[in-house]
Amino acid sequence: MKPVQNSTAPAVKITGLNKSYGSFRALQDIDLSVATNERIVICGPSGSGKSTLIRCVNQLETHDSGTIEVNGNVLGKKTPKMYTLRRDIGMVFQHFNLFPHLTVLENCTLALRKARDMTREQANEIARHYLARVRIPEQQDKYPGQLSGGQQQRVAIARALCMSPKVMLFDEPTSALDPEMIKEVLEVMTDLARDGMTMLCVTHEMGFARTVADRVIFMDAGRIVEQADPETFFTAPSHPRARQFLSQLL
Amino acid sequence: MKFNLDFALSVVPTILTGLFTTLWITVAACLGAAVLGFTFEILRRSNRWLGYVMRFLIDVIRSTPVLVQLYFLYFVMPFYGVTLSAVVVGVVGLSVYYSGYLAEVFKGGIDSVDTGQFEAGKALGLRRRDVVWSIIAPQMLRNVVAPMGNYFVSALKATPYLAVIAVPEMLGIALELGANSFRYAEPMIAVGIIFLILAVGINQLVRMLEKRMLASSKR
Repeated sequence: MKPVQNSTAPAVKITGLNKSYGSFRALQDIDLSVATNERIVICGPSGSGKSTLIRCVNQLETHDSGTIEVNGNVLGKKTPKMYTLRRDIGMVFQHFNLFPHLTVLENCTLALRKARDMTREQANEIARHYLARVRIPEQQDKYPGQLSGGQQQRVAIARALCMSPKVMLFDEPTSALDPEMIKEVLEVMTDLARDGMTMLCVTHEMGFARTVADRVIFMDAGRIVEQADPETFFTAPSHPRARQFLSQLL
Repeated sequence: MKFNLDFALSVVPTILTGLFTTLWITVAACLGAAVLGFTFEILRRSNRWLGYVMRFLIDVIRSTPVLVQLYFLYFVMPFYGVTLSAVVVGVVGLSVYYSGYLAEVFKGGIDSVDTGQFEAGKALGLRRRDVVWSIIAPQMLRNVVAPMGNYFVSALKATPYLAVIAVPEMLGIALELGANSFRYAEPMIAVGIIFLILAVGINQLVRMLEKRMLASSKR
């Protein structure tokens, strides 16, 4: 396995990670180190453990054994005040998971007010900044149900960014979108990558992987079977399972 | 004995002196039941062992007759040094009895909120109580207004049970009128009609509330 080429402390460091659902081994001996500012794309067939892996990074799933260190904190079932550590780890979900009873602006400000103890004015200012960044400042007073899927996902990205996370996790952010909306979401994600955000993206958008990823991770049956820079991965994948996967995609 | 309309009308004002008691006990019991029921359900979900305890408690409450619970509070508790006035027993008794049912209503209401909502709140670093209050409760409310309303009407109709412990609510007054005049038909019919009007009123109110909530969730 290739060592990470960065001198600073890794943003995410996973060693010997295992997780099972009953007798099904979802993750097996995962080792992965993500440097600050590094952009990682994780791909692989469904059921290969991609989502489980990134959901372990913010402990929406707990792991059975191994260690996960994020921003210098060791995470696990017994980590005290796990919720405070999650504030520095942003997450974007496949199905957006916006709060339907709150406006776009309120979706973005809820955590700022409840978790960062900001006043409504301070929170609104930050939220407007990020809504402008994801290019929907004019929708702030609408409810999620009034927006298109692409707009909803951009709000979800803004909502996560409002917390100023050090790491962003994307769990198939474009899989639930119509084709014409995928582009607007990928553009926002590309901007974010250019600005140096540390990102772990589970996605099948290979164009996105090619342009922004520093490293592509390929998983199969709960293991990382190949990792390489995108150029190498797409032109000369070494593992037969990766070759088969790519041939089906392209 | 023939039904005497004049007598029936003449007992109405006396019965209505219990209306206030009936109403405030109903309102207090509904509030108490909602708070208790919600607390029970949140505790039930908090961890495994507390979950078993709460499940058992909720089942016990739901599986014993309300009269048994009222007698227990009023006649048995004093043996253990807890003496409560009839009115307090009425409010506490009905609160506890309906909390078991409302806990079930809230369970269904919370289950119907998408798990992605819990996850999104958690992923933002919100505390559990903020997830519950700011994200889950408001969405749950839309799903529970109608069944909650049913139990509120049921609680109203359960207040006559309190006659057995001499709470001055409407049925108790009607029974006394009957005993004094040896005419039960008129007071009972009068009480029945008053309850009917109240229950229909509450049902209408709930239906309006439900409509309004459905309208706001469609936006």
